[in-house]
Amino acid sequence: MRKKYSGIEKKLSRWGWYFVTPSLLFFVLFSFYPILNAGYTSLFRKKILSLKAPDFLGFDNYKYLLSSTDFWNSIRATFVFTIGTFIPLVISSLLLAVLIMNLRKGKKFLQLAYYSPAVLSSVVASVIWMTIFDPRGIANQWLNIIMRTPGIDHLWLSNSFMVQFSTILVYFWKYIGYFVVIFIAGLASIPSSLYEAARIDGAVPRQIFWRITLPLLKPTVLLVSIMSMLQCLKTFSTQYLFVQSGSPQAPINVITLNIYNTGIRDHLIGRASAMSILLFVIMLFFTWLQFKGSKADEVSY
Amino acid sequence: MKRIIPIMLFLVFLTLPLFAAGQPEEEGPISITFWTHEDPNRTVLEERYIQEFEASHPDVTIERVTNSSKKMPELLLTAFAANEGPHIFNTQIEDGYAYIVNGRVAPVNLKSAGYASTSALNAAYVDGVLDSVTEGGDVYGLPLELTNWSPYLNKRVFRDAGLDPEKDYPRTWEDIVEISEKIVLREGDIITRRGFDFRYPYYLVSMVPMVEQLGGKLVSDDGKTAIIGDDAWLTFLEFMADWGPNGNNLGSPIYKNGRKLFNADNNDMGMCLSGLYQAGRIRSDNQEFYDSGDWMVIPFPQFENAVNNVASAYYGHYYMVNSQKPEREQKVAWEFISFMLSHSEEYLTEVGLIQPTKALMSSETFKSIPYANVFADDLAKGHIVYYAENSAKIQELIKEAVEGVMLSGIAPEKALASLKVKAQEVLDQQ
Repeated sequence: MRKKYSGIEKKLSRWGWYFVTPSLLFFVLFSFYPILNAGYTSLFRKKILSLKAPDFLGFDNYKYLLSSTDFWNSIRATFVFTIGTFIPLVISSLLLAVLIMNLRKGKKFLQLAYYSPAVLSSVVASVIWMTIFDPRGIANQWLNIIMRTPGIDHLWLSNSFMVQFSTILVYFWKYIGYFVVIFIAGLASIPSSLYEAARIDGAVPRQIFWRITLPLLKPTVLLVSIMSMLQCLKTFSTQYLFVQSGSPQAPINVITLNIYNTGIRDHLIGRASAMSILLFVIMLFFTWLQFKGSKADEVSY
Repeated sequence: MKRIIPIMLFLVFLTLPLFAAGQPEEEGPISITFWTHEDPNRTVLEERYIQEFEASHPDVTIERVTNSSKKMPELLLTAFAANEGPHIFNTQIEDGYAYIVNGRVAPVNLKSAGYASTSALNAAYVDGVLDSVTEGGDVYGLPLELTNWSPYLNKRVFRDAGLDPEKDYPRTWEDIVEISEKIVLREGDIITRRGFDFRYPYYLVSMVPMVEQLGGKLVSDDGKTAIIGDDAWLTFLEFMADWGPNGNNLGSPIYKNGRKLFNADNNDMGMCLSGLYQAGRIRSDNQEFYDSGDWMVIPFPQFENAVNNVASAYYGHYYMVNSQKPEREQKVAWEFISFMLSHSEEYLTEVGLIQPTKALMSSETFKSIPYANVFADDLAKGHIVYYAENSAKIQELIKEAVEGVMLSGIAPEKALASLKVKAQEVLDQQ
C-alpha cells in the first residue's frame, strides 16, 4: 500500500529533491553518462581521429585485452601499487590518528602538518619527489648517510623494484594526512563514557584500543579503506610523470596509464574504453567485497 | 493552460540551436587560431609576422597559442577529437601523419600559398621532403623545419679531461664510449659529469639509425615485417646495456637531459645530440659560451663495423590547416603560412630552423651558418624518421627494449624477442 505523506513531509521531501538534484545532475552528466558512453564505445573499433563510422566489434576489444600480456602486466602493476599503498596507508593513518588523539599538546599542529601534502596537486607532489629521487638528490644522500654506503645510487627511478616502491612512497606521503584527519573525526565521535567505564573496569590502553576503539571505528575504517583503495586503483599522475622523466614504463604501467597510452598515444579509443570499463568493474567488485566483508552497519554506540 | 505555456517556451528554446546553425559567413572579419610549440626565438619572429599580416589584411585576426612541445600532440588530439582543432598547427610528422590519413587536414591551397601547381610546389623544396605529407597526389603540409641531430661538443670539458677536441673528437660509437670513460666524473656510482647524452625519448630519430648502421631495419621494405636483422638489433641492445648503470655506468634516461645542461657550460656535459637550432639556444642562454667558440658540432658517429653509413633520421615539423574550418578561413590560413615561410632565411639565422627549400639550402646564408655543413652532410646520409599511424607505439616498444636492458637488467636476447613479437603485432593490426 502506498504511504500517504502529510503536507509538511511533502514539503520537506520536495526541498530534499531541490538540494539533491544539482549533484544528481552533475553525477549523471559527468559520471554516469561517460560510463555508459565508454561502455558503448568499447564495442567498436574507434580511432580517436577518424571521421568515419567505427566498425562494430562486439566484445572483441575485451577478448583482446584479456589475452594481452600488456594488459595483464597493467593489472599486476595496479595491484602491486594498490596493495603496497592502501594497506600501509590505512594502518599507519589509524595508528597516527590514535597517537595524535592521545597527545595533550600539538594536536592541531600535527593534523595540519600531516594534512598539508594532501593540498598539493599530484603533479606538484610528483615533481617534488622526482627531485628528491634524482641520482644526486637527497634520497640517495640521506640513505647513504644512514646506511653508511657513500656514493651508492639506489636507482629510485630506474630499477624495476625501486621505481614501484618510489611511486608507493609518493602516494603514501601525499594521502596519509588526509586519512589521519578522517580517522581523528571518527575517533572523536566515540563517546568518552565508554573509555571511562573501561578504565574503571581496569582495562589497559592496549585492551581499550582492541576492544573499544577499533570495533567502534569500523565504519570509519571501512570508509578509509574503500576511499584509499579506490584512489590507489585510479592512480595516474605519479606514474605518468615518472615515465615522462625517463623511468621504465613496464613496472609502473598501471591500468590508467595504459588507458591513456592506448587512447591518446595509439588513438585506439574503443580499446581504451574497454579497459576503463574493466577497471570500473574491478573497482566495483572490490568495493562490494569490502562492504560485504566488513558488516560495518552492525556498529552502534 | 498554466502548464502548457512553460512547456511551449521550453520547446521553443530547444529549437533555437537549429536556427543558430546557419550558413557559414562568406564575408566579415576572420579570426584564425594558430597553435604551435614553445620556442622563444621563433615567437619573436612570428609575432612580428602576425602584426605585418594583420596590417595587410585588416579583416583578419590571428591568435597564436603556444604550448610545450611535449604537451602539444596531446592537446591537438583532444581538440580534434572534440572537432575543435585550431585553424593552423604544426606537429612532428610522426604525429601529423594520422591527421592526414584521417582527413583532418586540408591539402595545401596552391593559389593561396603562391604556387601555380603541385609540381611547382614540389620543385621549390628539396627532393623528397614533401613525400611524408603527400597523399593521393595532394600535399597536406609545408615544412616549418626539417631537423636532424648531430653531437654538440664542449671543448672546455674535453680539455679538462686531458683531450684535444680538434683531434680526439669521436668518430665512432666505440670512440664515444672510450672518450666518455675519460670525461665522466662520479661520486661513487652517481655521475656528476657525463661524456655524452643520448636523446632517450626519441628512439626513432637517434637510435634506429644506429641499428641501420649495423645492417638492421625497423620495418621491412614491403612494410609487413617488423625488426629486421637480429644480429644488428642485438649488437645495438648490448651496446646500450653496457652504456647504462648496470654496465659501464656512463648515463641513463633518468639523468637530466644533456642539451639543457650543455648550454649552461657548467663542466657537467661533454657532448649531447641536438639540431642546428641548438646554436641559437646556446646564444640565448649563454652568450659568453656561444661567443667563446669553445663548442663545436661533429658528424653523427658510426659503428666501427658499420655496413651502412647512416646518420640520424630527420623529422619535419609541418604547418597544417584544419579541414573542418570553412574554406574561406582555410585559404587565409594557407596565405598566412605561406607569408611566414617566405622568411626562411630569417628562421635560419634567428632561430636555427632549416626550411628545406632549394633556394635556402643553396644560399650563402645557409653556408655561412656555423656547422650548417655538418648538418647538411648528415642530412644527406639520413632519411626521414619512421612515420605511420602506429609510430608512437613502435617508439614505445623500442623504449621498452632499450630501458629493459639498460635499467632492469633484462638480457638483450629476451628484450629483442619481446620487441619482435610486440612490434609485429602492432604492424599486423594496422
